[in-house]
Amino acid sequence: MKLKVRHVTSYAYSSPVDLGGHIIHMQPRPLPHQEVLSSSLSAEPPPARRSEGVDHFGNPVTWLFLDRPHPTFEVVSEAVVDVSFPRPPLADSTPGWEEVAACSARGGRDAWQAAEFLFESPRVPLTPEAGRYAAPTFTPGRPILSCLLELTNRIRHEFRFRSGVTSLRTPITTVLERRQGVCQDFTHLMIAALRALGLPARYVSGYIRTKPPPGQTKRLGSDQSHAWVGAWMGPEHGWIDLDPTNDLVVREEHVVLAWGRDYSDISPLYGIILGGGRHSLHVGVDLDETGRS
Amino acid sequence: MRDAGPLDEMVDGAGQFRQHWRRILDPVFGLGSDELAERSRLLQQAFADEGFASVLPGARSVHWHCDPIPLPIAGGEFAALERGLIQRAELLELILRDVYGRQTLLAEGALPPALVYPNPNFQRPCRATVGPRAHDGPLMQAYAADLVRGPDGRWQVIGDLTEAPGGAAYALENRRMLSRIFPEVFRNQEIWQLSNFFEAWQDALQRAAGPVSNPGVALLTVGHADPAWFEHVLLARELSCALVEGRDLTVRGGQVYIKTLRGLQPVDVLLRRQEGAGIDPLEMESRGPVFGVPGLLDAARGGSIHIYNDPGSGWAESPALSAFLPDLAFRLLDEPLLLPSVLTLWLGQEGAREMVGGSLGHWLIRPALDGSSAPLDAAALSPAGNEKLAAEIAAHPWMFAASASVAPSVAPSVGESAIEPRRIVLRMFLVHDGKGWQVMRGGLARALAPEESLSGRLPRQAMSKDVWVLVDDTAAIVGPGQVFLPPLAIRRTPADMPARIAADFFWLGRYLERLESASRLIRMTITRLGRAAPMPRERAELHVLLACLVRAGLVHEERVGSASSAALADAMLRTTAEDGAIFRLLNNVGRLSEQLRDRMTNELYATVTTSLRGVFDGFRAAQVAEPSRGLEGLSQALGDVLRLAATIAGLSAENMVRVGGRLFLDLGRRLERAEAIPAELAAALAPQGAATQPGHIETGLRLALELRDSSITYRSRYCTVVQPAPALDLVLADDDNPRALAYQLAALRDLLTEVAGASTATTRSVSELLEEAQAMVTDVAQAEDQALAAAQLPPRLSAIRAKITGIGERIARQYFELLPVAHAVGLEPDRVGVRGAA
Repeated sequence: MKLKVRHVTSYAYSSPVDLGGHIIHMQPRPLPHQEVLSSSLSAEPPPARRSEGVDHFGNPVTWLFLDRPHPTFEVVSEAVVDVSFPRPPLADSTPGWEEVAACSARGGRDAWQAAEFLFESPRVPLTPEAGRYAAPTFTPGRPILSCLLELTNRIRHEFRFRSGVTSLRTPITTVLERRQGVCQDFTHLMIAALRALGLPARYVSGYIRTKPPPGQTKRLGSDQSHAWVGAWMGPEHGWIDLDPTNDLVVREEHVVLAWGRDYSDISPLYGIILGGGRHSLHVGVDLDETGRS
Repeated sequence: MRDAGPLDEMVDGAGQFRQHWRRILDPVFGLGSDELAERSRLLQQAFADEGFASVLPGARSVHWHCDPIPLPIAGGEFAALERGLIQRAELLELILRDVYGRQTLLAEGALPPALVYPNPNFQRPCRATVGPRAHDGPLMQAYAADLVRGPDGRWQVIGDLTEAPGGAAYALENRRMLSRIFPEVFRNQEIWQLSNFFEAWQDALQRAAGPVSNPGVALLTVGHADPAWFEHVLLARELSCALVEGRDLTVRGGQVYIKTLRGLQPVDVLLRRQEGAGIDPLEMESRGPVFGVPGLLDAARGGSIHIYNDPGSGWAESPALSAFLPDLAFRLLDEPLLLPSVLTLWLGQEGAREMVGGSLGHWLIRPALDGSSAPLDAAALSPAGNEKLAAEIAAHPWMFAASASVAPSVAPSVGESAIEPRRIVLRMFLVHDGKGWQVMRGGLARALAPEESLSGRLPRQAMSKDVWVLVDDTAAIVGPGQVFLPPLAIRRTPADMPARIAADFFWLGRYLERLESASRLIRMTITRLGRAAPMPRERAELHVLLACLVRAGLVHEERVGSASSAALADAMLRTTAEDGAIFRLLNNVGRLSEQLRDRMTNELYATVTTSLRGVFDGFRAAQVAEPSRGLEGLSQALGDVLRLAATIAGLSAENMVRVGGRLFLDLGRRLERAEAIPAELAAALAPQGAATQPGHIETGLRLALELRDSSITYRSRYCTVVQPAPALDLVLADDDNPRALAYQLAALRDLLTEVAGASTATTRSVSELLEEAQAMVTDVAQAEDQALAAAQLPPRLSAIRAKITGIGERIARQYFELLPVAHAVGLEPDRVGVRGAA
């Protein structure tokens, strides 16, 4: 499926910003099942310096630096990608979840890289409560994918999607208690739950289609940056992406920008500015099949 | 594993002095115990004067003690250590390169992921790449190791310092002080000098900049708040680099600059002395307050600046890494590890837990990833503590490492009352000169007190020892003091002063002046408090003084209530108490002096700090004395403050080599004094109480003269009663009287001209004020009733004071760039203030 994405972020500052530096994870990551046909990132005013590179996790990253006073700042990312993530394996063919946990603790082929996502991270501290929440699903010997699908489904149905009630600093335990939040909260919660069980889990940042497939309701978390979970199923089956906000296995409706241990590794746009007073921020994301309006 | 008793460095098993100690013993012990004690005292005093100890009460205080007895290392033994240390540095460098590069060691299972990925010192931003690496220099330029010698006589490493290894400058300072105070000990000794190590380091820094004609080299420190601040001062001096804090730096267009008074000066090489985490707040989440420079890592990736050691290098300090070094040495160097670590097990490894078993008691337990925290002696724990630790280990074994407990060797040290054997930890230093590693032929030994623990960061209180590496008879023939030097490269560093330093001098000047005039005011008040029933004139004087005290913020009007003697006496004691205004001023003077340590000569610094210590003590004594004696003690302490201010003014003229510094110190002083004079005079001339008493103008003028220390001048000039016009002339218009307003304004005008040129708006407005000061005196002199004319001056005086305040603000804005606070923005921004950014 060919998808076209346009992501506009604009800041308006109450007084001009003298100096600004921004680190940007906003261009789709090339993947075996996500071909990036075109991708561009532009900024207004044009930055004095621009660097492009690849971060520790292999994600494309851009740094922009502005050193003239500017009252507004806008970043526009546009890309066309062809996505077709493979059908997931049969759940019963995947190994028992304890086996995956043991394998990632042991290391070895591929597991050494997955092991990075076993440990606590800045926004996902060790949360035994999250492990206890997931525990009823992870019955002894149950195939990993079967567990993962059920957990994804449970979060979709046991939590309410409500924006504005949480912030990036809301602890996972609060999300668990109040049973509400947005995609970031659900993603961090599910990551915490999997890590508490000894399973590698990572944070995937990206977008979901604005318009759902015919006959389906509008997806939650569209029109903005979206986030979901990457979970590891052992060296044979590798990683699978699961969207707990929409109870979906990532196939053709999502575009992957970057992955990391949690949001703090791959915030789409993060900056340090000097001056500027108060600022307002506007974000708009448009994602659809190419050729359709 | 505890076994045999500690080895004695000085005496061998047969009770004989070891060969290499013999040359030391005679000259040291030949002094006799009294002389030795006295010299020791002199030695510690010399360190305190230099700036090792803070003058600030309750501040981080480093009590640096150097033992008069050095630790000698025989030439042959040093050569073996040298080989081992160089191999270890090479090995750690290769491991770091792999971890921040291709990560083959992780992929092949030679390093467990749990040693790398959860480690807060593994800096992911340091692994980001922008195309091919811009430069291929080493990640580590400096490395140090802490060693102990076990009962078997073998040296073992108990800690690797790869982040920003500290202590090298202390080692040099120990040597310098010791040879100054114990010259006879050094006579006829053949020991290696330390200076060539610093030459090599300095050369390495210069060479790292590449073919730049005048490379900018700067040492980056957190600043005065860092316990190692004084070492940074010494090191910057020794290596001829600019001493900067994050807030002195800015990045523009991928190039790092120092913000100086004359604009931006590029930096090519940064000697990093602050931890890697948070060094660039754009890319790193700091664990503490942020002192970073946004864009620094981008500049480093672009190749315009070299940061040593690399911000990610602290990772290699993980204690658990020791467990893997023997295997890694074979894998990466194809050699056995020459200088082993103390036996260390990583408890995340299968088998290691079994080896440690239930008997934690034989092991020192350490956090696997944090080399800075002291090990826990399991044997010293309570049974409950032991159980808790065992449970924590069972839950997260990978978080822990266990080291065998080694009894370090002991060496004689001059203790409180006698010479006693103390355990020795030896820190040795290496620097990479671009081609290979060089080991300092010397080091820093710590002689541990019985209660001190073996490792962790350099403690704030410690007894250290100078380390002598003896020139072997078989080595090249060298006399004492002779060193082999490579040809020196010509070096220049950005001499221009960072704007922040100028601001610090400016404020030091202001605080000193404020302190001086506050002290004079309080002293004048105290001398008038003795009388039980004051005369009306004395009451009027106290009213004026109270008004001045309130204006200067020394007294809260509502808390004093009346200008009665008792109330004022109480207020004077309160304002000079530890939480009072005078201590705050003294603290500011102390803090700024320490901050400006590297800009002052040793003499100036020692004078300032010694006087400050005396003043602090004097005030404290006055507080606890009898009420009547208290005021007298206070008066004496205030006299000391006045002398301190005068001394600094005089000494700075002679001792401050950096032109810019003294200029801003003066600017601050003059401005502060210029602001105070019209304010005081307005208070003195204002009517006191309900009705204006005849003669209040005369009373006020006499006080104004005394406050400006000009009474004597007046008497000698006019030999008569105080009259308005001559008195006002002396306080306001006389540009020959260093206490007069006109003098301050003329000095301000000249200073500003020197900084910025003659025809700026600021210098012009200073000239206008000068005219106004003279006009006021002329107006009074020409009036029929001078007293009446003088009584009408206060509004004009307030206006002139407001304008001087405005000039001060303009100077601050113009030269010190009081930049707005940097903060973070993002898709859901966390509003965190970032100190010292951009």
